[in-house]
Amino acid sequence: MGNKVILLGNEAIARGIVEAGCEVASAYPGTPSSEILPAVARYADELGTRTAVEWAVNEKVAFEVAATASFTGKRTCAVMKQVGLNVAADPLMSVAHFDLAGGFLIVSADDPGPHSSQTEQDSRYFAMFAKVPCFDPASAQEAKDMVFDAFDLSEKYHMPVMLRPAVRVDHCRQDVELGEVKDLGRKADFKKDIRRWVCLPAHVRITHPQLNAKLDSVREDFETLYGRYNYEVPAKGRAALGIIASGVSFSIVMDLLKAWKREDISVLKIGTPHPLPVKMVEDFIARHENVLVLEETYPVIEMQLPDRTQLKGRWNGFVPRAGELLPEVIRDLILKALGEPLPVEGATELKAAIEELKVTPKPPMLCPGCPHRASFFAMRKALPNGIYPSDIGCYTLGVNQKDVDTTIDMGASLTSASGFYLAYRTDGKDQPVVATIGDSTFFHMGILGLVNAVYNRHAFVLAILDNRITAMTGGQSNPSIGDKLRKGDEGRQVDIEGVVRGCGVSFVKVVEPYDTKDSAEVFKEAWEHARTHREPSVVILRHPCMLLRQKQAVVKVRVNPDKCIGCKYCTNFFNCPGLPFDEAAKKAKIDERFCVQCGVCIQVCPHGAIEAVEGEEE
Amino acid sequence: MQYVIVGLGGQGILFTSRVLGHIAVSRGERVMGSEVHGMAQRGGSVISHFKVGPYESPLVLAGSADLLIAFDQGEGIRNLHFLREGAQAILNIHDPTALENPHLKKYAADRSLSIAGIPGYKILHEKMGGRFLFMNVLMLGAMCGINAGNVSIDEIREAVAKLAPEKHRADNLKAVDLGYGYFKGN
Ligand code: SF4
Ligand code: SF4
Repeated sequence: MGNKVILLGNEAIARGIVEAGCEVASAYPGTPSSEILPAVARYADELGTRTAVEWAVNEKVAFEVAATASFTGKRTCAVMKQVGLNVAADPLMSVAHFDLAGGFLIVSADDPGPHSSQTEQDSRYFAMFAKVPCFDPASAQEAKDMVFDAFDLSEKYHMPVMLRPAVRVDHCRQDVELGEVKDLGRKADFKKDIRRWVCLPAHVRITHPQLNAKLDSVREDFETLYGRYNYEVPAKGRAALGIIASGVSFSIVMDLLKAWKREDISVLKIGTPHPLPVKMVEDFIARHENVLVLEETYPVIEMQLPDRTQLKGRWNGFVPRAGELLPEVIRDLILKALGEPLPVEGATELKAAIEELKVTPKPPMLCPGCPHRASFFAMRKALPNGIYPSDIGCYTLGVNQKDVDTTIDMGASLTSASGFYLAYRTDGKDQPVVATIGDSTFFHMGILGLVNAVYNRHAFVLAILDNRITAMTGGQSNPSIGDKLRKGDEGRQVDIEGVVRGCGVSFVKVVEPYDTKDSAEVFKEAWEHARTHREPSVVILRHPCMLLRQKQAVVKVRVNPDKCIGCKYCTNFFNCPGLPFDEAAKKAKIDERFCVQCGVCIQVCPHGAIEAVEGEEE
Repeated sequence: MQYVIVGLGGQGILFTSRVLGHIAVSRGERVMGSEVHGMAQRGGSVISHFKVGPYESPLVLAGSADLLIAFDQGEGIRNLHFLREGAQAILNIHDPTALENPHLKKYAADRSLSIAGIPGYKILHEKMGGRFLFMNVLMLGAMCGINAGNVSIDEIREAVAKLAPEKHRADNLKAVDLGYGYFKGN
């Protein structure tokens, strides 16, 4: 028995990456993938490998950096979440055609549900689109094991290989076996060869058929050599149902069958959904009259079968076409497929209690003391008739304050602002528009939108919410901070103001968002400038994220019940967990469990009901 | 043994399953669990599943948990359906009248659930200067106080001492004992 420790699925993947001898790892954070790269750095430090570990400014950059490093014969990997793969789709499609030298692993973490994403797309579909092999782990241990096989397969066929963990694998905690580092002793050795490394159309006419041939061979391998990931758990005797399952759905099925002590159901586990070992699956289907397919989130296994018409799955809607396959969902699907009765819902009393007690799920909110809340408040105060396109980050939660009108994807706050500008401008109207974006997102994809707006002379205000961190995903570094992940590595800070000026913006002001009066003034000024000069102006609102726990002035506050008229202005437009509305008393109140005594709400109440508690100011 | 641990983002519920996991592994048992990271951590409802024994999947099926630990009473009540018949629950209570709700009492009686409440905020307010970040270890102590969770208070003390950061060790242990003492009366 080796050394077992409890790891998060993402740590298990990271451990595999380091043990497998990966020498360049690049990523952009995004739930549910964010914990992988910091763990790669930690294990590399602990195990003393020379792996370069870096946050890239976006996923396309991460992909290209890592892919190219593999051209030299080294093992490399790029890590991202599923929507990050959209950003990296361009290089994915071309690099798939390359005859790579070193092993190149793409980790793309999916979010069925979704829990923390703007889509619940399936990265395995992307693997199919790009024609690259894909592994789909069912547990943390299996995810770690698959990292080694993915690198080996990548080197056998000289092609990129994807590992697609879904959120329940990323964020599961499990005892996992630790191993030693594989020292491959490789030296970077780039062999120039334009047919191999330059994707000219003439070369693609050769490489595309090659890619198809590689994929055929991988499929053959998946049929025969990967029994540890693709196998059947047979029923005892005649099977009443055959289930084809991949990812964590397989684990859930196995737990259910065990709890039910059922042996009349056979299960085919598929750990390599693309290219699908079609013969294996067809053989299983031929032996079962009744077949249920469980996979997240798209019917990727089903789509690769020549005949899927008799299967109960996502494709024909027997399995819901959207959403996570939770244990309760899988339980009901199995029972439905068997034609057996569903468990009776015995929770009417509980439902009645929940209703009477008014217990509702709590949606996420910006932290108490979050500088974004103050920035949004000032923005609305200055330009109440504005349109507010926003972006991806904690600050998307500005919807709670009615200060986020649109969000598309990373960087779209700026381009949406341009879209609104043009649509109103063609009517001859000056519509105030304020785009909000975080520091990390600005570097990720915001700069291009800014250049476009300067070039085309679009009038709007860009508010950069600079909180010195990539907050939503748990606090990663980025260019505005300049830290790097590995011990001893030094980065360099990239100055946002300098970048903004360099893009050609002439109005740039930095403000402290906690001072909402001052920032509101600056917002007004910025819009005036934008409107009159026909160009974007930029306000940088700089205050550290609460996660950084930096020391700041403590202002104890109270709501004066004699002054509070119960208008709910504060809960509607400020929306702090520390300042709820007491429906019984019809007044706002401070909830000391959550209040961090930032004191900003004192500026919010138009009736002066929120007061500093005398003598406690520090 | 299957646990469901619920609360609000930022209450430090992840540490609870780390402690339980540490104990299970030192006993040579297998563990499997599921956590919430990302946007939901921003103050919203969060749920951790944790299983000790020969399980393959990280999620607990509704109606099969042995114990529910709730850092917030609303979240606790909302998630009682995870419990199997005869299971236990420990809730951090800020409004004790909720447990007197007749529907809730009937639900618990029908399914032989035993639901215990502890005024965690009040205790931490009075005894630990309102440092609510110790709620997680207080709840672990309370769990042992109602003889739930299949672990002893000594195992909890030992694991917390090992996993808590050096400078907060003494305070963490104090909070464990406050939770335990609330039920064991010392
Ligand atoms: S993590 Fe930081 S940025 Fe996100 S809501 Fe909290 S304080 Fe605001
Ligand atoms: S002082 Fe006001 S704004 Fe600041 S955390 Fe407390 S309630 Fe929220």
